[in-house]
Amino acid sequence: MSGEAGGRGDDGIIVVARDVTRDYRQGRTVVRALRGADVTVAKGDFLAVTGPSGSGKSTLLHLLGGVDLPTSGSVHFLGRNLAAMSVEARAALRLRQVGLVFQRFHLLPMLTAIENVELPLAAMRVSRRERRERAAAVLERVGLADRLRHRPGELSGGQCQRVAIARALANDPAVVLADEPTGELDRTTSRRVLALFQELNTAGTALVVATHDLELAAGARRRIEVVDGRTRP
Amino acid sequence: MLARNSIRELRHRPLRTLLTVAGVAVSTAMLADMLMLGGGIQQSFGDLLESRGYELRVSPSGTIPFDTEATIPGFARLRDSIAGVAGVERVAPVLAMSVSVEVEDGGGDGSRDSRRTLALGLDPGNRSLYGLVDGDAPGMGEAVPDSRLAGELGVRLGGRLRLATASGFGTWGRTASVRVAGTGDFVFATARDMPVAVPLGDLQALSELEDQVSFAMIRVRAGYDPEVVRDAIAVLASRVEVVTLAGISEKLDERLSYFRQLAVILGSVSLFVAALLIGTITAVSVSERLGVIAAVRAIGVARRRIVGDLTAESVVLCVVGGGIGIGLAVVVAGYLESILADFPGLPVAVRFFVLRPESLATAYGLVIASGAVAGLVPALRATGLEVTTLLHREEP
Repeated sequence: MSGEAGGRGDDGIIVVARDVTRDYRQGRTVVRALRGADVTVAKGDFLAVTGPSGSGKSTLLHLLGGVDLPTSGSVHFLGRNLAAMSVEARAALRLRQVGLVFQRFHLLPMLTAIENVELPLAAMRVSRRERRERAAAVLERVGLADRLRHRPGELSGGQCQRVAIARALANDPAVVLADEPTGELDRTTSRRVLALFQELNTAGTALVVATHDLELAAGARRRIEVVDGRTRP
Repeated sequence: MLARNSIRELRHRPLRTLLTVAGVAVSTAMLADMLMLGGGIQQSFGDLLESRGYELRVSPSGTIPFDTEATIPGFARLRDSIAGVAGVERVAPVLAMSVSVEVEDGGGDGSRDSRRTLALGLDPGNRSLYGLVDGDAPGMGEAVPDSRLAGELGVRLGGRLRLATASGFGTWGRTASVRVAGTGDFVFATARDMPVAVPLGDLQALSELEDQVSFAMIRVRAGYDPEVVRDAIAVLASRVEVVTLAGISEKLDERLSYFRQLAVILGSVSLFVAALLIGTITAVSVSERLGVIAAVRAIGVARRRIVGDLTAESVVLCVVGGGIGIGLAVVVAGYLESILADFPGLPVAVRFFVLRPESLATAYGLVIASGAVAGLVPALRATGLEVTTLLHREEP
C-alpha cells in the first residue's frame, strides 16, 4: 500500500508528500496552514523551500519529517505512510532517518558540544565509546574539532548552528531538514553554513532547507516556493 | 544526556537549588520526626514492659498497672490458684501506693524535707521493677528509694526514712520508720515520681490493705503460649483482668492515639509541602526549557525517556534534601526529647522519639516518591504538548 505512493527508498526516493493540507485550530477559528502541497525528496537532493512568513514552510518541513501529520493527503517516508505509524514509531523513525536543524539551535545549554551531538546516539542506545567517536568525527566534519568541550554559551551563533547541524548528522540520516538555519546568523556566518550544506550535499546528504535567505536558496540544487499554503516549482 | 543536563542545571542555579534542598530537608525532618513520634511511645513502652521478663499482668478490671490505686482483695488465695496454672513460672505481686517520705532524723538544722512519691510493695527478692544502684534488696523494716530521691533527701545507706500514707486531703495517716538498705534505678520512675521499694507485707500493713495488691506480674514458662496461660488464669477470678503485654500496648495505644493523629496530620502536611515545593520548582524549570524539550522530541527521543530524565531532576533534589533532612530529624528529635523528658506521668525511661531505622527509611522513601510524582506531573504535561505548537511558539 505504502510503496505505491512513495517508493521504498531503493528507488532513490526518501520522502513524498502528496496533496497535503494541514489545518490548525486557534480557539474557534480553523487556520489552514497548507492547502495542497506536493513535494518529493530524493537521495542527493538539496531542496530549498522558500516563501513569505506564515506561508507554511515550517509546517511542510514538520510534515516531511513526521514531526506532524497532515489533515489530508499523504506523506510517505522511505515507502512508509507516516499517518499509519504510531507516535513512538514515528519518533523512532525520526531518530534514525531524519536530522533536524532549528533556527534557534535548541542545544542543551548545560551539555558540551560533543555531548549535544551524542544526544540522538544516546537515545539510540549506541555505546558510550562509539557515540563519542562518532560525535567527535561529525564535529570535526563541521569544523569544530577544537570546540568539543565548549558549552553553547561559550560558542558563537554560527558555531552553535554548526553544533546543531552536527547533531542532525550524527545518526547518519536519510535527510536533513533545516528550518531557517541562518535566521539568527549574520551574513558571513550564513555563507559558511551554506558552504557547509553544499559540502554535505556533495558528500551525499539529502537536505531540505526552509529559508527566507535568497542567497541560501540560490545555493540549493532545487527550489520550491510555498505561497498561501500551496507549493510552486 | 537530558538527566546530565538537568543535574548541571541544578548546579548552574545554586541559590534556587539550595533553597529547594533546604525546603525538602525541613519537610523530611518534620515527617521523620512525626513518624518517630507516632509510634515511638508505644514501642518504647512495649520495650520497657518486655525488658522485665513477665509476660502477663493481673490487675483490677478496667485498669492497667500504675493507672489507679484500685486493688485486688484476697490476693493470697488467688496467688495460690494462679501458681497452680500450667505454664506459670512465677507470680510477682505489686502494691503501689502514694506515700509521703522524709528523712527521719531531719537535716542538721532540724528541718524536715518531705516528698510525695510512690511506694512499691514487692516480694523480698523481687527486683522486677528496679535495679539496685548500691546496697541490698529491702528486708522487713527496710526500703530501697530511687537513687535520685535518696540524693534529693540527702539520705545514705543505713539512714532512716519515715513513710506516711495519705488518709485524706492534706493529711497523712499511718507512718512507718524504715532503714535504707540500698538505692535503686526504677523502671517506671517519672520525672516527678521517684519511687521507693519496700517489702509487700510492710506496705500492706502501713496502708491497711492486708492481702491486697495493685497488680501482679506473671512469668510464663518457656514453651507455653502466654495467650493460653492468660485464658486459664482469667477463669480463676472475677473482677480482675489478665492481659498480655500486647494487650497493655493496645490499651496504651488507645490512650496515646492523639499523639499518632497529630503525627499523621503534621507528617502529611510536611509531605504535601515537600511535594508542592518540588512540583513548583520542576514546573518552573520545565517551562524554561519548553523549546529544548520540543526540539528533543522532534529529534525523535522517546517521550518516556524525556519524562524520566526530567523527573530525575526532582528525584535528585529529594535524595539530597531528604538525606540532609534525615540527619536534621535526628538532631531535632534529640532536642525535643530533652524538652519532653519532664512530661508528667510518663516514665523517664519512655522515649517520645524512638530512633527507628524504618521510620527514617519510610520518611526518606516517601519524600523521594512524592518528589518523583510531583516532578512527573509537569514533565508529563510539558512532553504531552504538541511538538509543532511548541516549536511554532519558540521559533520566530
